[in-house]
Amino acid sequence: MTADTVSRFKIPAHEMERIRSLLGRDPNLTEEAVFSALWSEHCSYKSSRIHLRKFSSKGPRVLMGPGENAGVVRVTSRTGIAFKMESHNHPSYIEPFQGAATGVGGILRDIFAMGARPVALTNSLVFGSLRQPRQLTLFRRVVAGIAAYGNSIGVPTMGGEVWFDERYAKNILVNAFALGLVAEDGIMSAIPPPKPLLAVYLGNKTGRDGVSGAAMASRSFTDGDTDLRPQVQVADPFVGKKVMEATLTIIRHGLAGAIQDMGAAGLTSSSVEMAAKAGLGIEIDVDKVPLRDFSMEPWEILLSESQERMLLLVEEPRVERILNIASESQVSAAVVGRIISDPIFRVRKGETVFAEVPVPYLTDHAPLYDRPARARVHAPSPSAHHSPSEAGRHSIVELFHRLLDHPNGGSAEWISRQFDFEVGTRTLLSPGHDVAVVDLREEEHAVAISMAGFSHPLTRDPGRGAMLLVAKCVTDLAAVGAWPVGLTDCLNFGNPERPETMSDFVLAVSGIADATKRLGIPVVSGNVSFYNETDGISIPPTPILATCGLLSDRRRLVPGRTFRAGLSLALAGASHDLSLGGSYLDWILDEPEPDPVPQVDWETLARLQPFMNVVLAGRTLCASRAIGRGGLLRSLLQIVSGGTTLGVALSLPRLDNPLQTFFSEAPGRILLAFEPEHARFIEQSALEFGIPFRTIGITVPHLWNIRYQDRDGRSKELSDSPEQLKRRYSASLAGQMEELP
Amino acid sequence: MTPRHHVGIIRFPGTNCDLDTWEAISLVPGLVPVWVSHKEKSAGDLAAIILPGGFSYGDYFRTGAIAARSPVMDLVGDFAQKGHPVLGICNGFQILAEAGILPGTLLPNSKRTFLCQEESLVIENCRTPFTTLFDPGTPVTLPIAHQEGRFFIDPDRLQDIEKKGQVLLRYLSNPNGSLREIAGLTNVTGNVVGLMPHPERRASSLFGRPDGLLFFQSLALYLERQSLRTLSEAH
Repeated sequence: MTADTVSRFKIPAHEMERIRSLLGRDPNLTEEAVFSALWSEHCSYKSSRIHLRKFSSKGPRVLMGPGENAGVVRVTSRTGIAFKMESHNHPSYIEPFQGAATGVGGILRDIFAMGARPVALTNSLVFGSLRQPRQLTLFRRVVAGIAAYGNSIGVPTMGGEVWFDERYAKNILVNAFALGLVAEDGIMSAIPPPKPLLAVYLGNKTGRDGVSGAAMASRSFTDGDTDLRPQVQVADPFVGKKVMEATLTIIRHGLAGAIQDMGAAGLTSSSVEMAAKAGLGIEIDVDKVPLRDFSMEPWEILLSESQERMLLLVEEPRVERILNIASESQVSAAVVGRIISDPIFRVRKGETVFAEVPVPYLTDHAPLYDRPARARVHAPSPSAHHSPSEAGRHSIVELFHRLLDHPNGGSAEWISRQFDFEVGTRTLLSPGHDVAVVDLREEEHAVAISMAGFSHPLTRDPGRGAMLLVAKCVTDLAAVGAWPVGLTDCLNFGNPERPETMSDFVLAVSGIADATKRLGIPVVSGNVSFYNETDGISIPPTPILATCGLLSDRRRLVPGRTFRAGLSLALAGASHDLSLGGSYLDWILDEPEPDPVPQVDWETLARLQPFMNVVLAGRTLCASRAIGRGGLLRSLLQIVSGGTTLGVALSLPRLDNPLQTFFSEAPGRILLAFEPEHARFIEQSALEFGIPFRTIGITVPHLWNIRYQDRDGRSKELSDSPEQLKRRYSASLAGQMEELP
Repeated sequence: MTPRHHVGIIRFPGTNCDLDTWEAISLVPGLVPVWVSHKEKSAGDLAAIILPGGFSYGDYFRTGAIAARSPVMDLVGDFAQKGHPVLGICNGFQILAEAGILPGTLLPNSKRTFLCQEESLVIENCRTPFTTLFDPGTPVTLPIAHQEGRFFIDPDRLQDIEKKGQVLLRYLSNPNGSLREIAGLTNVTGNVVGLMPHPERRASSLFGRPDGLLFFQSLALYLERQSLRTLSEAH
């Protein structure tokens, strides 16, 4: 290899060869920069694309699928929801506050680029153990960054998930989800109509921040990457709000032909991708781009990831009105180029041409890899532990305390109270519930959002674990009576050049594809984040899912907790495979020979929502909640969390495996609280839908008492104080975060 | 026919509780919400003005500092001076304090983070246009959502506002380190009110009590009485 084959933008040598043979010459600096961005994993999906074809985005409600800024699904007779999730892992590790804030800003732009007004945000956060000071700082600043953007722009952050696990210490995950509402006839597209169009730049001025960010996110970190800060962007939610309002106004007046946000690879990807979708070319004059720093080179302007910018393709007579709207909103706007009929990406600076590359070379001819995959050989762990199934080995009370005392099992209120989760006043169920519920204010409908990103089942079994995540979402939605209408995902994995990682990825994608097809849930948008690897160590496979469900009548909704004593408690749902593999308990104990990951009973799962719909329509429930992280005991504690002293008295039959009964997280089970007089109706409904159903106890003040018989018929009793359990629950995360100076 | 009172809702570029406030006003018979731009210079036929919550100009600088110096605030100052009802909610309160229309200032929360949570509060002053429907000592539950809500004022003036009964609302358990648990305040003449909690977020509710609606219903009643008084004076 000669010195000049080495890319200035870290393009691998074999891809440089490919560029040279496509062009028939060496690319110049600007062209090489353009290739480095568009051929990056982040923009080209070159390692994942062939596998993502397994997902089905079809469905009667789907209005827009993959290929747009976000997917859109119809939820009322005239309105659709646009939603998407994206990762901002790499930037958040380098500069947690700005990294997280720009992650929120970026996902919001994807939503309003569709013409949808954002009405809800959620997030999934995965960090290393909080015992490390570095993680405390990262975590604190990421939460503050998300809060800073969402609170300021006025979109409520309504829920999310958090998980602390040492294996993510050097590759934290920050995934943000946004949902917006759009009238069916007001949906904007990123695919331009076949007309002569001008390229209009709208938003913040361009600076050097975030130059080459997409390429950074497409590499592993090494210890040498001590200062990558210039590659991180800076958020400005105030400008973000002005750009959002201006964009929505422009779309409402039908002034734009196509819109894309300038996200990863900024001006380059937005212009090239829109031109490519129309089979046309585009010419950009970097002299026309509003700049913050006039010393910027053309390639820097092209690759800058300065925030709060949109690119619009507009018919000439409408340009002036757009410029007026921008000036009223006090944001910059300029005509920076035009669509051309030759499929060429041409970059000019005044009269000088700096780059001229056929558009298909940048998109269709981008590399596509079917990378080798090799299933992981699970190394036998040291046999210091004993199997959890050994009778009497573990005290159930003690295990429950361990689950609650860890931040993974405690209340996430320390996080959610920093988020304005109510602005917009559409929040029907707020943080602390399994799902966020957004009021549509139309036809009494509402939308529920369930997040699932718990990676432990995938560590145990990537395929089955991925299916479990889908089933968990569907159970969460069913618990509030919502029917799943669409799913988006963010697939966070390690280095795809490692066959083990690739194998995890392929298995997980197949699992999600299989599960969503069984349940008829379209996968309408998504994002892949590879290279979550530092010094050769990859994160566990971590697909994070967000599933949206439709509630036909918001007035029937019940919360996930109650303050009332004397209510009956019952369990409804599938219960034949309660294996502990991949559960939170399994993670805490880390047994050498864990249970298998439970198999999902798809038949029963699919009947769960219709059953819940009938029960909710009968107005018989006071509270309902899916059995989730930590299993039955933790879910019981959460359902009585409406009051500080409320507890439970349970009377259970003979249990063959008490650990499974109390700690299994097998999806498809819902905990119900209701007035005893409604027991007959609910039980009868369960019978009609073929849903296993069992009344297990009542809610009582000041008491936490659970009686059962063990395998040998001996009476057992678990006693605790509900007040103390609740104190543990609320202190485990907040305690760690507030002890700091 | 019931008279319809126009309630101006001021919009700065970063205001984000404007629509929520609009919805809350719309729920009250007799009140009609009207948008007022931050560039507006005339109060027209407005009967009351509300400054809703948000991040008026991004609030990267001290909260409300830029908004307090924007053109519309001259209008608000005059309007308040004439004794008309003015309500500032959250960022609106911060702006009124920054503009000197209400006493004191709102500093960053003692825990230094944003706080979004429900608070139990007690109403103390029921003589303002926004609290006439309450009895003194009424407990209410309203949400707060702010990063700078710690009420602060020098000791002399604190004594003064306490003595004159200007404290409108107090927290039961102080979330942000405010002096004397102060969550809401009125001016000496009682026509300008600042609230850190958000009444517009509890104007209707699926599960909880709609305690916030009473603030706007109070306003409707007050304006109704005002117009009756004007009418009888005319006769």
